[in-house]
Amino acid sequence: MLKLLKYLRPYWWQVIILLVSTGAQVYATLQLPALMADVINKGIVAEDVGYIWRTGGLMLLIAVVAAACAFLASFISAKVGAEFAKDVRADLYAKVLSLNLADTKDFSTASLINRTTNDIRQVQETVMMMLSVMLLAPMFCIISLIMAIQTAPDMTWIIAVGVAAVIVSVVIIMALVLPKFSIFQKLVDKITLLARENLTGLRVIRAFNNEKLEQNKFEKTNSDLTKLSIFLDKVLKLEGPLINIIFNGLTLLCAYVGITLLNKDFAYLGNMSAFAQYVTYVMMSFIMLSILFVMLPRANVCAGRINEVLNIDSKIKWRAETVGVPEKSPSVEFRKVDFRYPGAEEKVLDDISFTAKVGETTAFIGSTGSGKSTLINLVPRFYEATSGDILINGINIKDYSKDDLMKRVGLVPQKGVLFAGTVKSNIAFGAQSATKEQIRQAARIAQADDFIQKLPGGYSAHISQGGANVSGGQKQRISIARAICKNPDIFIFDDSFSALDMKTDAKLRAALKPITADMVTLIVAQRVNTIKDADQIVVLDDGKIVGKGKHFELLGKCPVYRDIVRSQLSDKEYKKEMRLANADV
Amino acid sequence: MRTFKQFLISMKNYRFRVIISVVLAVGSAVLTIFIPKILGDMTNIAVETYPNIDFAAVAQKAIIVVVLFVVAAGLNYAQAYILTIVAARYTQELRNKIIAKIARLPISYFDKHKYGDTLSRMSNDVDVLATSLSQEITDVSLSLTTLIGVMVIMLTISVPLSLVAFVVVPISVLVVGKITNYAQKYFVERQNVLGTLNSTIEEDYAGQIIIKSNSHEVASFKEFSKTNQKLAKITFKAQVLSALSMPATQIFTNLGYIAICILGGVFVIQGRINIGSLQAFVQYVSRFNRPITEVASTTTTIQGLLASSKRIFEFLNLSEEEPDFSPAQTIDKVRGEVEFHNVNFSYNKDAPVIRDFSMKVEPGTNVAIVGPTGAGKTTIINLLMRFYDPTSGYITIDGVPTREMKRADVRKMFGMVLQDTWLFSGTVEDNLRYGNQSATFEDIVRAAKSSNVHHVIEALPKTYHSEISEDSDNISAGEKQLITIARAMVANPPMMILDEATSNVDTRTEQLIQDSFEKLTHGRTSFVIAHRLSTIRNADLILVMRDGAIVEQGNHESLLKAGGFYAELYNSQFADS
Repeated sequence: MLKLLKYLRPYWWQVIILLVSTGAQVYATLQLPALMADVINKGIVAEDVGYIWRTGGLMLLIAVVAAACAFLASFISAKVGAEFAKDVRADLYAKVLSLNLADTKDFSTASLINRTTNDIRQVQETVMMMLSVMLLAPMFCIISLIMAIQTAPDMTWIIAVGVAAVIVSVVIIMALVLPKFSIFQKLVDKITLLARENLTGLRVIRAFNNEKLEQNKFEKTNSDLTKLSIFLDKVLKLEGPLINIIFNGLTLLCAYVGITLLNKDFAYLGNMSAFAQYVTYVMMSFIMLSILFVMLPRANVCAGRINEVLNIDSKIKWRAETVGVPEKSPSVEFRKVDFRYPGAEEKVLDDISFTAKVGETTAFIGSTGSGKSTLINLVPRFYEATSGDILINGINIKDYSKDDLMKRVGLVPQKGVLFAGTVKSNIAFGAQSATKEQIRQAARIAQADDFIQKLPGGYSAHISQGGANVSGGQKQRISIARAICKNPDIFIFDDSFSALDMKTDAKLRAALKPITADMVTLIVAQRVNTIKDADQIVVLDDGKIVGKGKHFELLGKCPVYRDIVRSQLSDKEYKKEMRLANADV
Repeated sequence: MRTFKQFLISMKNYRFRVIISVVLAVGSAVLTIFIPKILGDMTNIAVETYPNIDFAAVAQKAIIVVVLFVVAAGLNYAQAYILTIVAARYTQELRNKIIAKIARLPISYFDKHKYGDTLSRMSNDVDVLATSLSQEITDVSLSLTTLIGVMVIMLTISVPLSLVAFVVVPISVLVVGKITNYAQKYFVERQNVLGTLNSTIEEDYAGQIIIKSNSHEVASFKEFSKTNQKLAKITFKAQVLSALSMPATQIFTNLGYIAICILGGVFVIQGRINIGSLQAFVQYVSRFNRPITEVASTTTTIQGLLASSKRIFEFLNLSEEEPDFSPAQTIDKVRGEVEFHNVNFSYNKDAPVIRDFSMKVEPGTNVAIVGPTGAGKTTIINLLMRFYDPTSGYITIDGVPTREMKRADVRKMFGMVLQDTWLFSGTVEDNLRYGNQSATFEDIVRAAKSSNVHHVIEALPKTYHSEISEDSDNISAGEKQLITIARAMVANPPMMILDEATSNVDTRTEQLIQDSFEKLTHGRTSFVIAHRLSTIRNADLILVMRDGAIVEQGNHESLLKAGGFYAELYNSQFADS
């Protein structure tokens, strides 16, 4: 929490004004009861009407000043709070975007989103509370205390009684309630989960006729939740009546003690009500502080989560300018590349060497966990190879500037990722200066032109968040068009054709052929059919290359490849493929 | 207003408790009202008997005050206690009603509406109702009683002083009300901007690698900053406006306070009232303030309550699935003969999906459904399982129309393995037993072995007792699919419905899945949404779908020979082999 407070530094002078105006507000407000006592003691008792009017006027002036200060304070704390949140959020957002997959591997996307939204909001609220309550309450408390002692020194012990009573009651209630809160939160999560399952599993539940079973499960958790929330509420609702008893008791005590002291000094007549007012202020500031202390630990956790991200030191360092002159003709070369996740024992990639040439397609196949996705993530430096070198157009990727390397790479991930905007803005995402015709051409190659034309608005059709208003296959095609429009040196397809039906897949591949003639194409695939024609197939198993060559070659010499093929074809087809392979060799 | 009426009706069982709690609240408020008055009397006694103060009389008053505030607090707690239970039980009831409603609504409702919407009705709206119930009833009854009581007592102390208070206080309430109203607008707008910002963040984080590989960071940051700045601005405005109400109230309160001090002081000197009464009056003025603000703010709360109850009852009022045919027909021993008789179907009226479709599937037949993405292959499943009913025409199983059977009985005849492998949170064993609660542990292990998932389960930390769920990552997508296959095996139904799509599965697991699929369909009438060529070729009957309609049917050879859409599909995939 403290670390985040450094974001308040640019607003230091506003915070100082805040401090001053808060102090002035407190001081002014607290003058009123004393003046009221004066009205009673010096005005009424002495029957001095002029004094009453004069003091009244003074009170009015003070009230206005207090209100003005209070407004100034709220104005500044609102401003500083909003700016603070904005600054932290902007930094966090920029940080997350600057990080690589290797850096954020330990955080889920959902968790990063939560940190940027909910956690920051929580911290902002607490900072605003701190700026108002944390400054106000102690000042109020101390000044009222001083004023109270000044007005009626013989009654100070009443304050001690009051403070003790408030603290004891708050502590007891918190002690009863706080430990149950985490259980309560878990039950709330569970009931949401169950309700969610009832919706997401709708068809399965009905298929198995388990509606009753699901309802019973829900009702049980619901009843647990209700029981606990009744318990919590019962305890929490004690607080109001208890505080009422304490406040009323204190007012009575002040009046009664004041009366007993009248014989000593008749001024207690006015002083006792002023004193009662001060005691109320002291109590209230204690209650405000106790709320802050409930909020602080939670905000602290949130601040910790934010800092955790802000403090990540990116493991990948980029050059400002590319060192050396890359060759004109594209190529990708891996030289004895090893990869291991930081801190992990096992290698994900082990001694990977291959060269992908211009105009050729290099495909990677292997079972889940064989390392094929990691391998292609090394090319745009989303991960950094543990050892070995990766060369693009003859130059080590570590010698490229970030933008220079990225502009050479056209990546199509497994899931079509789109951004809110228009079809056009999505296709031109990597090539801001692309002309209308270039965008259209890219879409044509990606077999997307037809359906885009049919969308309301065509290329200007609105795409909603995450591309929720287009189908999976359409998303996939738009994201392929995006990579094409960029006109990169290297295409990387990470199982990108899975959402397409066979026919579209085939057409798209045919349309790609001419433009990939002066590019390097890397494809990760699950299906043999997708890569049968590749110029080079790299078979991965457990992070190692176990076969390299063309389809028929590999059928002859690579048992892992043969297994994969057999698993995807019928016996008859497999036999046919094997016959062809033998003929080919 | 209709929903409000419905809300009141739904509260019927609780009305006595609510009435009792209102009575208690009123009692508590009345008792509290007298406290300043008696405290004032106490001072008066002291002043009048000064310097020989009558301590016995003072103490007597003091004791009355103690009794009053303790009893008032007691009553207050009692009413809060009752309302807490009412609110909790009522919300519990509502949640259960909503869940039960989900089970009775037609599937089409959920195909058209987002889950999030239903979920937020169940959580947010029910919560709003609960808080309003437990808070507002207390607040309103306390406030109104206090307000009226305080006004009466103030008038008995001094009419002119009361008039001053009655003029100043409503002005402050009016001003504050205006400010809050104005601020409310900004709060709503802030909520909208926040929504936009959150979706931007969500989108950009999820698409991080795309932003990176397209060097789009600066542009994305600019886009984000625009909204971020807008949020800061609007938050500031909303906060300042709502913060304005505090000093505004304060200044009016203080004005009233000062006016009463001055006027009261003059009155005391003139002997029109005594000093204790003035002190009491000052206290009443401060007590007069709060209830007015509270009553004013209830309008907003009531609006919220109305909106929420509207959303809840709207959902509860939705028309439900048609009741099962009565008397329902049953089939004793299912052979598995399925026949479509002139079936017509459409999801919405103007776009017919299936037109006059008839076919007969003999027992034990394997039917493959093929077609491009989005061709409506799941429609067949929806009709077979009676998730949807045909618009006209009917489907028979062993000659019995499915619409004349109970939905539950129809569904029991089919085992279903879908593309999205839905597992619920619970143990592996619970999940496997899902379709057959009476299955023994041995049955479960046998099914798991037969569907090649036994070794995967054995490798989990607590084997069959391991907790899994929809998004658990200790098992892969393929393994989840194997579990759903095993689940269908445990249920052991006479017919099967399968969806083959397995794009995220590695080759070895895929082989296992295929093997299990074969076991599952062997000898059973089965409908498979087919993606694998081997499945398609081995099918006894292929239904070819395009743009939501069945365009061809037959077996592989006959369809190829016909040279229609199927042949086109088939050749495009294997043109180059």
